[in-house]
Amino acid sequence: MKEVCALTKVYHFSAAHRLNAKRYSDEENRRIFGKCNNPKGHGHDYYVEVKVTGDIDPDTGMIINLSDLDRIMKDIIDELDHARLDIEIPYFREFTPSGENIVKYIWIKLQPKMDKGRLLHLKLWETSDNYFEYFEDNN
Amino acid sequence: MGYKTLLTKRVEFSASHRYWNPKWNEEANKAVFGKCISPYGHGHNYILEVTIEGTVDPDTGMIINLYNLKPIINDVLKDFDHKFLNEDNPYFKDLIPTTENISRVLWDLIEKKLEGTSDCRLYRIRLYETPDLYVDYWRE
Repeated sequence: MKEVCALTKVYHFSAAHRLNAKRYSDEENRRIFGKCNNPKGHGHDYYVEVKVTGDIDPDTGMIINLSDLDRIMKDIIDELDHARLDIEIPYFREFTPSGENIVKYIWIKLQPKMDKGRLLHLKLWETSDNYFEYFEDNN
Repeated sequence: MGYKTLLTKRVEFSASHRYWNPKWNEEANKAVFGKCISPYGHGHNYILEVTIEGTVDPDTGMIINLYNLKPIINDVLKDFDHKFLNEDNPYFKDLIPTTENISRVLWDLIEKKLEGTSDCRLYRIRLYETPDLYVDYWRE
């Protein structure tokens, strides 16, 4: 039997967004996105759970040093925190800042920076009753 | 396609710990572990989730009776609750009590006590050190 250990740290940011897709007319956008299409935007407190797996280093007793993970995540969070996503973040000018796309964006930014441990799973809470997950599906 | 039924028991305990690798000097320890090297330790309210898988007994409708699981966990936690893990707990004499290592030790101890309990086994341990930091541990 092989042991598997995964560490999860939760990070927080507050951001505003407007859901609007360029390919649709104003009327269609209002129909598809409803309240979320408000031109002035609206915001959420987002919580992202970052799950990292790997061997427990015998010298430190850790999969990854939290200070390293915090440092990597700080740049990502700083960009998103208190931003109007669809205006201020270039990626979301192209892709609607839905929960699905935000969680994927965090993966794209974070995954290449992981030098110890392997990014296993991301869970993004948009509100206390909806969340979005992104991970590599090996099946 | 098969089905799986899981049962999870959640328990809180409070403990203090210190991160220190005796192979390294103070400077190296500080660089890696920061504030956690304080010789007096610091503490957390840990929340342990023990998840059990197994066959649902047709007579009781249970994988394991919580009346039996609870004393097993509480017995294991005697060495953890309100202890300074580095000094009061025998398993951390030569092992740094990180969340990862505490999870590994708890797995071994609980698994051993579950031996002989028919048709159930440990599925996963989740240990919250703080509400925003937790470790999952399992064997496959």
